[in-house]
Amino acid sequence: MLEVKNLRAKIEGKEILKGLSMKVNPGEVHAIMGPNGSGKSTLASVLAGNEDFEVSEGTVSYKGENLLEMEPDVRSHKGVFLAFQYPVEIPGVSNINFLKAAINERREAHGQEPITAKEFLKRVKEKASLVELDNKLTNRSVNEGFSGGEKKRNEIFQMAMLDPTLCILDETDSGLDIDALKIVANGVNQLRSKDRSFIIVTHYQRLLDYIVPDFVHVLYDGKIVKTGGKELALELEEKGYDWIKEEQNPVEA
Amino acid sequence: METLIEETKISALATSLSGSFSNKIPDHFKNTAERATGLMSGLEFPSTRDEYWKYTRTAQISKVDWKFSDEIFNAEIPAHISGPKIVFVNGHLNSELSDLNANANFEIGPFHESNLDVEKEFEPYEDFRTNPFLALNKAMPQNGYVLRVSAKSNIENTIAVVNIYTGDKVISQPKNVVVLEKGSSAKIKEYHIHTKNSGKTFANTHSSFVVGRNAQLGIDILQYGSDESFHLQNADFLLDRDSRVVQNTFTQEGNWTRNNTNVRIQGENVNANLNGFYIPSGTEHIDNHTIIDHEKSNSESNELYRGVLLDKSVGVFNGKVFVRQDAQKTNAFQSNGNVLISDTATMNSKPELEIYADDVKCSHGSTTGQLNDEAIYYLQTRGVPKKLARKMLISAFAEDVLKHLVSEDIRGEIEEKIDTKLAK
Ligand SMILES: Nc1ncnc2c1ncn2[C@@H]1O[C@H](COP(=O)(O)OP(=O)(O)O)[C@@H](O)[C@H]1O
Ligand SMILES: [Mg+2]
Repeated sequence: MLEVKNLRAKIEGKEILKGLSMKVNPGEVHAIMGPNGSGKSTLASVLAGNEDFEVSEGTVSYKGENLLEMEPDVRSHKGVFLAFQYPVEIPGVSNINFLKAAINERREAHGQEPITAKEFLKRVKEKASLVELDNKLTNRSVNEGFSGGEKKRNEIFQMAMLDPTLCILDETDSGLDIDALKIVANGVNQLRSKDRSFIIVTHYQRLLDYIVPDFVHVLYDGKIVKTGGKELALELEEKGYDWIKEEQNPVEA
Repeated sequence: METLIEETKISALATSLSGSFSNKIPDHFKNTAERATGLMSGLEFPSTRDEYWKYTRTAQISKVDWKFSDEIFNAEIPAHISGPKIVFVNGHLNSELSDLNANANFEIGPFHESNLDVEKEFEPYEDFRTNPFLALNKAMPQNGYVLRVSAKSNIENTIAVVNIYTGDKVISQPKNVVVLEKGSSAKIKEYHIHTKNSGKTFANTHSSFVVGRNAQLGIDILQYGSDESFHLQNADFLLDRDSRVVQNTFTQEGNWTRNNTNVRIQGENVNANLNGFYIPSGTEHIDNHTIIDHEKSNSESNELYRGVLLDKSVGVFNGKVFVRQDAQKTNAFQSNGNVLISDTATMNSKPELEIYADDVKCSHGSTTGQLNDEAIYYLQTRGVPKKLARKMLISAFAEDVLKHLVSEDIRGEIEEKIDTKLAK
């Protein structure tokens, strides 16, 4: 599904990703953990197509195509979805109207007819209930006046609406209380399937109690420095990130 | 040298125009016209040294050998303007294209046939030195519409007024008068259309609105200039107590547009609303100047002007709010927001508050910025192409003005103009 090779990316001249490689197969759930500032959001942004980041080296192939050459909307049409760490508020643009436009753009790209009003409403109802998102919120301006938790649930709602094949979740758990976390995790779990892959970026192990990953990677200083199974997350929870840092920067004897 | 100086005088233009002026001035207005003619001598075309004209040059107007035109028949009314309307072409009534009839509740007709005299009430505010074009309009007023709504009458349907300006080097000076008597209400939509590819046209309009006690007036103005048009629209409002007014100005296109709207709040508990939206492209120039004068207490005014500026266009906003000493408990809000779509577009925005009362709530804000790139990126990641994402953001921005529309039926053409201008 996704193969990242030796990816280097910078922003404002500063190199953030320093030769990152990873491979995600259909149906797999990969967790990416790492200390703040290690480049997790940068990786998510580069995969989603944020122009602010400049890729200086490496390749990203997605379903056999060069992902880096595509506009963000084209990536979306091909099944990439990013749940933002900080969802953007867009006053005056209705959540539901823009989602309908988004769905229809994707359908057009696939040579399909626009979605019918009935079908669309049915889907809204179904997917909103998946993350227990209030009906009122689906109709409001995108994220405007939403609480932190509502914004995160809205991200998962949009994800469910758009039916992606590669879901990238950037710290969707941060700022959520335990009940909201369970709701979000439950929503994600229901979306798991053999054709759909997940990259779950998180700082804490907590979310991984509910969404059990197939692989856990540790991202440190722009590179993946460790990969393991779900038990690696528990180890990180127990020991923190310092031992990783020490391993990477051994004190000269 | 002598002649050069002479040419910058408004009175020189008036003299050269008098030969082609064929409209009849109604008796009640003759004194006003004479007075305006007299006061005009010595007035120059405004220059950018004049504060009121700082960002809007009139030199291009002063250089054209303007004349009035009697040509009224070759005018076409855009198909989308349906329903009853009163139509003026180059400052003359075109009764063939007009199909608006008065009834017991209201009178409507051309200025020259009306004996409705409101000039005296406006005289204290007249300032030809600041705006010499007003003197020109009053010296040679042409036909616009006069509407009088009887006390307690409510005109159900929107009254459509269509002004067409056509020909080459043609000046038009429609004079409009609207009087809403006590407790009456009316809705108006005004079209100002400069014919494309016909040559240079200059509309120098003036409207007097007298809104009586507890009366309600709503007016939408649609301005369609051409590549060679000069559109100068002057409006003066007198508002009596308990009245409510909404004016929305949509500058759809046009080479040079200047709107001067002055509102005098003469009673308590008035609600005055001035809104505008403009989306200039190419080298278009659009200038909105407003004055809201709170003379009495307990009234409220709201101004919302929003602009989207493309290419090398220039926008100007100047909103002056006066709160006089007697106008305690005034609420005055003003906001001007602009989005620059190109690096070469310019916006000059100046809100001015002059407050002489102490117990008031006033706020003004002016912002000029770019579209939110983060929002565009966010929408793109959901599958919305960049162009459509931009359009969504601009539509949302325009909606803050559009939601004040008096006649919802013109929404479509405004949204369409936004779409076509952004698509280029
Ligand atoms: N827009 C930006 N401009 C400048 N530096 C940035 C920007 N975004 C991120 N960075 C820098 O890139 C580094 C990695 O950030 P990020 O990818 O957000 O880390 P993480 O998500 O792992 O916490 C940090 O040092 C951060 O300061
Ligand atoms: Mg981050």
